[in-house]
Amino acid sequence: MMGISEYFESARIAYQAIIANKTRAFLTSLGIVIGIFFVIMMGWFLDGLDNAFDKTINAIGTDMLYVDKWSWGGSDDWRSVQKRKPISYQQALEASKKMTTAELVAPHASKWGGKITYQGNTLGSVSIVGVTAPFVNTPIGNLKEGRFFSETEDVHSVEVVILGYKVANAFFPDRSPLGEIMRINGRKFLVIGVVNKRGTIITDFIDNQVFIPIQTFMGMFGTARRGVQIAVKAGSQELLDEVREETRVIARQVRNLQPGEEDDFTINESQMFRDEISTLRLYVWGIGIGLTGLSFFVGIIGIMNIMFVSVTERTKEIGIRKALGAKNRSIMWQFLVESSTLCLFGAFIGFLLCATVIFAITSAFPDVDFLTPYVPLHLLFIASIVSIIVGIFAGLIPAYRASRLDPVEALRYE
Amino acid sequence: MNNDIIINIEDVAKTYQMGAETVHALRSVSLQIRKNEYIAIMGPSGSGKSTMMNIVGCLDTPTKGTYLFENENVATMNDNELADIRNRKIGFVFQTFNLLARASTLKNVELPLVYAGVKKDERQQRAFAALESVGLQDRTHHKPNELSGGQRQRVAIARALVTKPSIILADEPTGNLDSKTGVEIMRLFGELWKNGNTVILVTHEEDIARHAHRIVRIRDGMIESDTINPSPAEV
Repeated sequence: MMGISEYFESARIAYQAIIANKTRAFLTSLGIVIGIFFVIMMGWFLDGLDNAFDKTINAIGTDMLYVDKWSWGGSDDWRSVQKRKPISYQQALEASKKMTTAELVAPHASKWGGKITYQGNTLGSVSIVGVTAPFVNTPIGNLKEGRFFSETEDVHSVEVVILGYKVANAFFPDRSPLGEIMRINGRKFLVIGVVNKRGTIITDFIDNQVFIPIQTFMGMFGTARRGVQIAVKAGSQELLDEVREETRVIARQVRNLQPGEEDDFTINESQMFRDEISTLRLYVWGIGIGLTGLSFFVGIIGIMNIMFVSVTERTKEIGIRKALGAKNRSIMWQFLVESSTLCLFGAFIGFLLCATVIFAITSAFPDVDFLTPYVPLHLLFIASIVSIIVGIFAGLIPAYRASRLDPVEALRYE
Repeated sequence: MNNDIIINIEDVAKTYQMGAETVHALRSVSLQIRKNEYIAIMGPSGSGKSTMMNIVGCLDTPTKGTYLFENENVATMNDNELADIRNRKIGFVFQTFNLLARASTLKNVELPLVYAGVKKDERQQRAFAALESVGLQDRTHHKPNELSGGQRQRVAIARALVTKPSIILADEPTGNLDSKTGVEIMRLFGELWKNGNTVILVTHEEDIARHAHRIVRIRDGMIESDTINPSPAEV
């Protein structure tokens, strides 16, 4: 067995060798520095993406189904989706009445590109969403302040509005909008509530909408060609399959589909974002791994080269060590420790570089919420392990050659 | 078998392949060295003296013959077993000192103990004691390039002593020193011998060899003579 004293001796020699040739060590480990940089940046980016993804799922609700003409996933054939008839308000109402397993069924309709005015200031491209009173119980209807409207207010087409987070923030950055009168597409509305921030990088639009009673909405924008979506809350994830099945059966009924006919609607759910995310992940991974692999490849060649130089430079030293009783594996170990220390040193520099870049990016783009100013420390651990392995790999051939040197020849070397 | 015999070389030969030619560095050598002998191996360059030293020092193995080192057959040992013998039983002193330039005096002397797996505290203690015995206890943190030639060679001798080896094998130990310093080093070898060590000098200088009590002369890969020195030089 290798003595512990021998291990420390090797580490000490490696450290001295690096200190003695600082510039050389830095240049040699540049490939590793860049490789580690890419790995960590990629990990950081994917972590951010995953967080955004989790937030998105929570925003949409893990137990929510959204019946719509349109598909979120993009997996359905776009042309046939486009030909579908919109879901009418009547169909949505009928479906709501028939559902028995769901905790909540809430039809809603949207108008894109709405215009909101307050005291001469206008905010364009806001989504105006007509909803029923129970919408307050969906994740998106979660109130930050104020109240939602009642069923009675809906039936009487009262002009009240609940603002999305971004809209509220745009007009009232430092005070409550409750009780203010705002104009939506020219019509006066009383602000009665604000919903919580729910949006993420993927679902930024969620915060950029306002909610009004669906009857008021239809009075303003009509219903004839306008599609309605149905939000269905299962109550829990365990019930999701059952509720999805009933939703599908009832949706087919209200859409008058014959057996054998394809569904002319899509039951959207948060899981559909997974497709989009996983594709994006794959791209990031592909690019990241490619760049990392390339840098490591260059790095390994650099380290291997410098280790050969190091072995040649220290032929005499190897001879002395062998004469004093160093076994082949001690010499091999010494050079492997040196090459992996060199890589580890590169990894730390790469890591510092990452930390700097991450903080620079996040302070340059403070609004992009998935770029979080955190340095993934677990990646430092992985990076260290990887760099040690890379170092051992790069040092293997030079170290083996050093270990096999004939002591007589090596001692004679000048 | 006499237990006093440390080195027992029997009909040893060593040949090298130099291209198409076979070089007979040693043809047939037999030699016995006992405990606490003070012996010089002499010969002009090309005599096979260096090959002899490499074999005696277990840096190399013979092509033919047997070599028992304290009754262990060294001739058939592999690299690692030889390294172990060198570590535990042989203390080398070289003409060019062969100290590690980047390491302090103390670290240099500790090195054989590192490979012997001795723990740090004991290692430092023993290295310090060895340096003390050669009179360099106040130079422990100096680097070799901060020492004179004679001091460097004394560090090398301390390094050779630190494992309490069975033999001390010195290859032209005064070859790189001026004559005054050389005399000091030879006095040190004399003291080592008086303290019970077995000393083997390899040299081509009569002046050095006359310190030894027995002189073995090698020529053309054979032992030419093996004589007792009737009046070893004292310094």
